[in-house]
Amino acid sequence: MSGNYVLEMENIDKSFNRVPVLKQASLCLEEGEIHALLGENGAGKSTLMNILGGIFPADKGTIKVNGKQVEMIDPRTSQQLGISFIHQELNVVADLKVYENMFLGRERRNRLGLLKVEEMCRKTSEVLAGLGVEIDPKAYVRQLDASYKQLIEIAKALLQDSKIIIMDEPTTALTEHEVHRLFTLMKNLKAANVSIIYISHKLKEIQEICDRYTVLRDGKIVGSGRVADQNVTAITKMMVGKSVSEERFVHNHAAGRKMLHVTGLTSAGRFRDINFTLHAGEILGFTGLAGDGRTELFESIFGFNKTSSGSIEVEGRSVPINHPKQALQAGIGFVPKDRKENAIIKDLSVYHNMSISALSHFERMGFLQPNQEKSRFHHFKEALNIKVHDPKVTIDKLSGGNQQKVVLAKWLEVDTPILVFDNPTQGIDIGAKREIYQLIVQLAEQGKAIIILSSEVPEILKVCHTIHVMYQGEITAKLKRDQANEDEIMKYATGSKREVEHIG
Amino acid sequence: MASPAIKQESTQPPDKNRHLSWLWSEYSVIIAFVVIFVLASLLNPRFLDVNNQLNILMQVSIIGIVALGMTIVMLSGGIDLSVGSVLALVGVVSILSLNATGSILLAILTAFSVGAFAGLLNGLMVAKGRIASFIATLGMMAGARSIALYIADGGSISGEVTSFTAIANSELWIIDYPIIIFLVMTSLVYVLMQKTRFGRYVYAIGSNEKAALLSTIRVDRVKIGVYSLAGLLVSVAAIIETSRLNSISSSSSGQAYELDAIAAVIIGGTRMTGGRGKVLGTFFGVLILGILNNMMNLMNVSPHLQGFVKGLIIIVAVVFQKRE
Ligand SMILES: Nc1ncnc2c1ncn2[C@@H]1O[C@H](COP(=O)(O)OP(=O)(O)OP(=O)(O)O)[C@@H](O)[C@H]1O
Ligand SMILES: [Mg+2]
Repeated sequence: MSGNYVLEMENIDKSFNRVPVLKQASLCLEEGEIHALLGENGAGKSTLMNILGGIFPADKGTIKVNGKQVEMIDPRTSQQLGISFIHQELNVVADLKVYENMFLGRERRNRLGLLKVEEMCRKTSEVLAGLGVEIDPKAYVRQLDASYKQLIEIAKALLQDSKIIIMDEPTTALTEHEVHRLFTLMKNLKAANVSIIYISHKLKEIQEICDRYTVLRDGKIVGSGRVADQNVTAITKMMVGKSVSEERFVHNHAAGRKMLHVTGLTSAGRFRDINFTLHAGEILGFTGLAGDGRTELFESIFGFNKTSSGSIEVEGRSVPINHPKQALQAGIGFVPKDRKENAIIKDLSVYHNMSISALSHFERMGFLQPNQEKSRFHHFKEALNIKVHDPKVTIDKLSGGNQQKVVLAKWLEVDTPILVFDNPTQGIDIGAKREIYQLIVQLAEQGKAIIILSSEVPEILKVCHTIHVMYQGEITAKLKRDQANEDEIMKYATGSKREVEHIG
Repeated sequence: MASPAIKQESTQPPDKNRHLSWLWSEYSVIIAFVVIFVLASLLNPRFLDVNNQLNILMQVSIIGIVALGMTIVMLSGGIDLSVGSVLALVGVVSILSLNATGSILLAILTAFSVGAFAGLLNGLMVAKGRIASFIATLGMMAGARSIALYIADGGSISGEVTSFTAIANSELWIIDYPIIIFLVMTSLVYVLMQKTRFGRYVYAIGSNEKAALLSTIRVDRVKIGVYSLAGLLVSVAAIIETSRLNSISSSSSGQAYELDAIAAVIIGGTRMTGGRGKVLGTFFGVLILGILNNMMNLMNVSPHLQGFVKGLIIIVAVVFQKRE
């Protein structure tokens, strides 16, 4: 076979509990290329990469690195072969400092066996600076925003001088700005002959950065080739078996009652003087770069964090919200971002994750009714196209995108009149993404009041009526959807432009 | 072509192994229980005697009830070190109440209130005070024992209402009341943990507290409930303990019960960090401990060595859990 492949995975088979997940999957990686691994949610992308990363063994098939056949016994073997792995879900240790996370298991020591803390801190700052972020290496990871955690994961992989880097959806928590930094870095790596396997559901990114692609569908390879030779529609079609339209959603919105009215909301160090109004049937978007405070803002409105001043009125009544339960009772639902930390209860089954916030719907005389939970879940399974073989398994057995769909189902089941979605389509494939936005639009048409937080401006533009741009804890612009475009939004998001209106 | 063929053969057994290991991880306690049971009956013919069997159940019933509460606490991600001391305190106070009022009902009510109150304090410290459960209940362990000693002046107190002893010393047909109480409590706690909202919330909190809170669970209240319930179960155990001998010792009653209860829970497969485990596992964990004690007694193993065997079993159980 061709000599310049750094990696050849051939005829890989893998089943979980007798359900085949990979069937004869093969993947070849050239030296110094960025290779896109594509496919729907649950297609088997992460599974294939986990095999390469030594997380679990394949049932069948061979792996060759630099032409030599290897056995991936454990993650260590994989690392020693020069492969580093950025996992789909965050794996940072919240109770350790940034630099400790970066050097976890590979601490640098001096001759006396003592840690070279200063050197590790310097190196940490250096690598992070390469990604365009400034974080104190001695800060605790717990306090950081999800996008910083993601950047730490990336930086950690860059720290080892690997020949192959696996990136499993590295950009789901990143803003455009940071994605560009990452791409510059990837191009430099490529120039240094490092090969990258890049998994993403954002085709725009694929077109921009990747050289070749391989498409998985239901565990089988259905196509591969040069990205330049194919157009997006064809690749999409290969992935989902149908074409996905890219146009905006048109929906008429008769602004209904005032549902949520926030005035002068402030929380020291997080956000300042936030004012906005949300009506029934309306979809508001909030966007901004990392550190803009939008997540913190809505965590506060949801009662997860404390606010220092300001008022929240729901349907004209001022309500004190000090606990998420009070928010729920007031009629506010909140789908948090960063599902592994905030939304997934990994020891509960898929059924139970769906029902956990709405158990009163499944109760009769104080006892839970498993059959009702089941039938309700099957409703969502159909509606959201959740791919799961046996919903009795714990939710961490699902693919990332399917976990996210269960999280959405959980909040759809709660069915509050006000729904806040934070990065709702994190890790969801293009086909399903459109369906989910369609669903959100439908909810609005049924009279629900909806807020979407997202760093993906194009998506927000597609569905929202009004877009709020935030910069360092303040709303810097409120743009109607027909006035807004990506460039304009970016100007406000980076703080280079500011609307005078709200100061007056 | 040759190498894939070899691979195929070498990977067939692991697949079966994985299936077996799944079976093991789900039902390991029950399998271990059966193995130990069979071994015990082979080693000593007297083991299978109905009276001996009932004796084992009788002996584990008190620890068993305490271990049920411990299971709930540990599923929520905490631990309760105070159970032994609280048991002594409940015993002392309820006997005082019994002797003062002459009413069994009042004695039982006193027991329940003292146990639940101690649990409530534990819960408040953990949930509202945000003190690690290990520390909070360690404090309660010292505090409750000290109050018990102070009230009883360091000694034992005996009941003066003889009918009180009937609670632990009567039989239904041939089955002693404590066994029945233990079985009933096990069923109740099982139903609570598997079939009700409360149980679901406890699992959720033990698994991912932040996500539980963001799922609008009242984490604080559930935790307070968990520790109070554990305290209540301790008071049930205390009533049996006190009634059995018609007296309670403020210094030695309940000594090291927390260790036995935690051992039973761990052997039963509940994860130390919470979120995962079963009430039924604890039930069999308790029985395993009981059989081991019983066997060692039948075989005249020195009581000083019994702790060693128990320790060994706990470590083996945890090693098996780790494997998964
Ligand atoms: N540990 C596991 N046990 C059982 N089934 C599993 C396990 N891990 C993955 N699966 C199943 O394998 C299939 C493929 O999952 P995988 O995570 O590889 O998908 P993916 O292509 O990465 O999807 P996504 O885009 O959603 O991340 C899914 O149907 C999933 O349910
Ligand atoms: Mg994946």
